[in-house]
Amino acid sequence: MNQNEQNFDELKKLLKLKQHEVPPPGYFNNFSGQIIARIQAGEAGGRQSFVERLGFDAPWAVNFLRIFETRPGLIGGFATSLCLLLVLVAVFADRPDTASKNLLTVSEPATTDSSVASMTAPPLLAASDSGIVASTNPVTSLQPVATLFGQPNSGSLFQPASFAPVGH
Amino acid sequence: MTMSETVPIADASTPTGMVEGDLVRRARKGDLDAYDELVKRYQQRIYATIYHMTSNHEDANDLAQDAFIKAFQALKSFKGGSSFYTWLYRIAVNKTINFLKQRKNKHHFSLNDLDFNTEHNPDLVALISEKTPLREVGLTELQKKLNEALMKLSEPHRMVVVLHDVQGQSHDEIAEIMDCNIGTVRSRLFYARQQLQGYLTEYAKPT
Repeated sequence: MNQNEQNFDELKKLLKLKQHEVPPPGYFNNFSGQIIARIQAGEAGGRQSFVERLGFDAPWAVNFLRIFETRPGLIGGFATSLCLLLVLVAVFADRPDTASKNLLTVSEPATTDSSVASMTAPPLLAASDSGIVASTNPVTSLQPVATLFGQPNSGSLFQPASFAPVGH
Repeated sequence: MTMSETVPIADASTPTGMVEGDLVRRARKGDLDAYDELVKRYQQRIYATIYHMTSNHEDANDLAQDAFIKAFQALKSFKGGSSFYTWLYRIAVNKTINFLKQRKNKHHFSLNDLDFNTEHNPDLVALISEKTPLREVGLTELQKKLNEALMKLSEPHRMVVVLHDVQGQSHDEIAEIMDCNIGTVRSRLFYARQQLQGYLTEYAKPT
């Protein structure tokens, strides 16, 4: 190694020239001030980008992403393999559903009539204490229930509307 | 310095008189005065390293500022496993290498002027007057050739040369900054010097 060090003596002297390269006079006078101003202006404090945070938390991930920068062709390959993976996942994810559907169709004839009836005819017309009929039918919902005397229930939510045609 | 000049007294209660650890602790809590002091302590070395890597003053200015801002943002993640100085250097080095990779081979020199002492550096004077076959070569021309040769090196090799031969960092420090082992630093340095010598045969002949 000593011989190598000696061999590079001239080069090391030449490299000393770099030490004499200096920025314009007064350059460092306000350097820190500019940085503090930029920090105060909001460039710092919770505005780290995702990649920057990733760089500190998981440097291996950033190194992995850098591979794509140096070899752009890999992006296509990686994207294709991801798509392929997604398609495979979608295909395999569908299979259990179809199997369960088949099971359902097979088991339907085995159900009793009463259970079917109870499923298809929910108690839509069951009257409530407040006189309002609960129904999923938008036309019949929240209609006042007639009392025994043929008059609308006084506690009903709606007043009967009367329309007088214009010009009469 | 004359006797009549006032000697500044380092007061431990002001940022200027504080040790690095206290400054870092205060900066982590958002104390910008403390961080301002940290910037002032390392601005020249960080700027110089980036400048020698890019050979461009404007790029070095932007990258150095970005590195300090990024360091401030990431202070909470600074575990203290290494010194703040080494950690800051690592941020600056990574930022610079990433920038150079993106810039690829589009080198645009914006070289700083040589200071007044250059002409009085005995090594350089001897180099120009005796060893250089082209004796009429000026310092500015030599500076340009040297920067061109440096820019031909790969980023990791250039970084090792800059940190060791220009900045005077030890192998250990460089290994810590560049996150590699000392053997890698030594081999990179040797290879980089060989390459440089090849590029600068007119000016730096092996002895």
